[in-house]
Amino acid sequence: MHDFIVGMAGSGGDGIVSAGESLIGAALAEGYYGILTKSFGSQIRGGESSCRLRLATQPVLNPGGTLDVAVVLNWEDFRRFGGELPVDARTLVIYEAKTKVEPTALPLGGVTPAAAVAVPMEQMALQSAGAQLAKNNVVLGLLAAWFGLPRERILAGIRKKFARKGEAVLAGNERAFAAGFEYAERTPLPAARRLAPAVPAAGPMQLTDGNELCARAALFAGCRFFGGYPITPATEIMQHLQRDIWKHGGSLLQAEDEIAGVGAAVGASFAGKKAMTATSGPGFSLKAEMLGLASVAELPLVCVDVQRGGPSTGMPTKREQSDLFAAVFSAHGDTVRPVLAPTTVADTFEVTVEAFNLAEEYQTPVIVLSDQELAQRKEIVPAIDPARFRVVDRRVPAGEELKDYRRFRFTDTGVSPLSHPGLPGGNYLAAGIEHDESGAPTANGEMHARMNDKRLHKFAPLQERRDLFVLEGEPDAAIGLISWGSVAGIALEALRQARAEGIEIKLLVPKLLYPVAVPVYRDFFAGLDRCYVVEQSHQGQLHRLIRMWADVPPEFGVLAKSGANPISPEEIVAQIRAMTRARAAAVRRH
Amino acid sequence: MISPSEDAAACPAPALTAKDFRSDLKPIWCPGCGDYGVVTALYRALAAIGRPAHEIAFVSGIGCSSRIPGYTTAYGFNSVHGRALPIAQGIKMANPELLVLVAGGDGDGFSIGGGHVPHAIRRNPDLTYLVMDNQIYGLTKGQVSPTSARGTQSPTSVYGSMEEPVNPLLYVLAYGAGFVAQGVPADMDGLTKIIEEAIRYPGFSFVNIQSPCISFGSPDNQIKNQKAKLRKLSDLGHDPTNRLRAMELAQDYGRELYTGVFYRNPNPPPTYERRIAELQGRLAAPGATGA
Repeated sequence: MHDFIVGMAGSGGDGIVSAGESLIGAALAEGYYGILTKSFGSQIRGGESSCRLRLATQPVLNPGGTLDVAVVLNWEDFRRFGGELPVDARTLVIYEAKTKVEPTALPLGGVTPAAAVAVPMEQMALQSAGAQLAKNNVVLGLLAAWFGLPRERILAGIRKKFARKGEAVLAGNERAFAAGFEYAERTPLPAARRLAPAVPAAGPMQLTDGNELCARAALFAGCRFFGGYPITPATEIMQHLQRDIWKHGGSLLQAEDEIAGVGAAVGASFAGKKAMTATSGPGFSLKAEMLGLASVAELPLVCVDVQRGGPSTGMPTKREQSDLFAAVFSAHGDTVRPVLAPTTVADTFEVTVEAFNLAEEYQTPVIVLSDQELAQRKEIVPAIDPARFRVVDRRVPAGEELKDYRRFRFTDTGVSPLSHPGLPGGNYLAAGIEHDESGAPTANGEMHARMNDKRLHKFAPLQERRDLFVLEGEPDAAIGLISWGSVAGIALEALRQARAEGIEIKLLVPKLLYPVAVPVYRDFFAGLDRCYVVEQSHQGQLHRLIRMWADVPPEFGVLAKSGANPISPEEIVAQIRAMTRARAAAVRRH
Repeated sequence: MISPSEDAAACPAPALTAKDFRSDLKPIWCPGCGDYGVVTALYRALAAIGRPAHEIAFVSGIGCSSRIPGYTTAYGFNSVHGRALPIAQGIKMANPELLVLVAGGDGDGFSIGGGHVPHAIRRNPDLTYLVMDNQIYGLTKGQVSPTSARGTQSPTSVYGSMEEPVNPLLYVLAYGAGFVAQGVPADMDGLTKIIEEAIRYPGFSFVNIQSPCISFGSPDNQIKNQKAKLRKLSDLGHDPTNRLRAMELAQDYGRELYTGVFYRNPNPPPTYERRIAELQGRLAAPGATGA
């Protein structure tokens, strides 16, 4: 097999997530592609934990749907993850024999898997390592032997991980791995399947996640100030920057609250530095007023919202795409702020750099809508080649422009040179209050309208940023899909499956969500009579946003699903088949 | 950072005057407002300090007093209600060479923005925070404010307010500010000197300015009455290095009108930006991994 999905669940101390990390580390070393997603209950420590690992010989687009293999250390914990670890008739279930469940009576809600094998994992750990903690390494041994995973790479990982814990602990864990491996060799599975050998990529690969790449992209783009507040699942962005930003002469403020975090970033931008804040839903709501201030003061700012399940506290550790309305419509008054969304882990780098570029070029806050899935899943991706990216700096006034300098001067582009404290002659008043060209406060209706025009007009070039859209499939297809963020990778896989079935279809993935680039949608919708937007929000927020701005095809529907449980490629393919049938029926009627 | 006096000695420039800091904007304040005195004292203090206007960043929130940056020639930032301190800290961290001033009213600083004050103080950035305390929300026409005396009757407390006022001086002393003073526009020379001293203090400095609201404030607090009531701490023989005594005196906020320096830390600790520069230097050093 070329694509292998294993899901594992257990209690906090069972080391399930750690086993997943060992496997993906080994896969990277061997040259496989892969995605590891971790999922936890909302407990801080302990409670249930799980991971899902997809390994493949080709690049993978998403963490996958139904599990090929489920490893169950504890049935209660496994079942808590519900649709995050879906099992069906294709799945092989490996479970802890100690749970004393008959293979014919698994508590899987009526689903009969392909096969079920009870293994005394805990007993093997106790016998081999003298500690039940070692059972995750028993699991690794079982998986390595049964599915042809790279044994030596996994062992190397175990040695590295336990090297610091002393000879005895290391030897125990190596024995646990061997015990699992030998057990699997002695006990062949009903239908043995092995992962095909890796086909390593030409260039170097790395194991990373969206939050790390966001932080690295920020530094690359020239970010020299970060203000923020800890919040799941965005905190790692601040943690990564905290290690490195000082080395670049920058600084970071863990502020007293979300408002102060973004406020300090606005201040740093006013002072001439590229600045960023990062948060998740609840923090984003708090930052809204500052976003309005930065829009009216025309100050560059990047604000990352790593979306999680909302509203309110919602589900902090789960995936959802339900902050789109908040991002687009946050803050009162007539303002536009560009909203960008990465679609893959690797994309997070590119989109973050683009966010800084747009912020500096158009002197505006730019919102990056990442999501828990992209932000925290570990993925094997190509090493970033910074030479591929351009970096834009703000237009600072110089020479003649500093004589009779007017900060908000009306220009053809709507963008006026931006000075900063310390620059002689550039002195001005930045303000949230409406102002004239010089920055002086005004309550004049004509001036207010002109300034609103200026602040809107400057984004006109974004309407033609086709490079911020991905188009896949048959350009002349009559049915189409639109998807965004982490769900786009699932939609793309579904598109490929449908095309393999002979269905003509195309897919549009916007990385620029707002302002809605009407010409791009107009071209995509030309000749389409059915289109569905696939997204992880209850109301179908992108679907509704597009309708506000663009003329849509006769049938313009939405496959929208609340967060936590991923949308599977199978669900999307089913929708595509339904569209195809409906279209065929309509053609017959005419 | 180079002190202003050394700076002047190193490169002689024409001496700055108060006029150099006055902008063309006409204040929106009511005739007789205490804030006129404050901005005049500030012009004089800035002239004495001698830093050119483009090296000054002056941040405020929202309120009558928060209009003040626009009346100076400095780089101003009239931001949103209650958030001047976080913005000012971002400015100072981004460019430690700037002279950073923050101003606002009592509502801005001790009500909506009250949560930022202790954190700014514990970080100790070298900036000066001027609060124009008039015990009323003037811009919205006279509602009770966090420093209004209990029983204050206002459009939102027609039967008299039921809360005790906050005590800005005691709060800020307790939070650990290194420089705490109070001034009044009734004593322009004193106020100018206090602002100048606050700016010169290397760290977070706080000046509470009893700046009366002519339109909605209590008649007892107007400039004429201030002249009669004010008691200079220097005349009382107060030792400004004595923090506990400063806190005792600060307890009389709302009863006595003390002016002058309540507390000046004789051994100023390193500023926030100094600590940041040290970290940056350490991590940038050859061979440093920082990890």
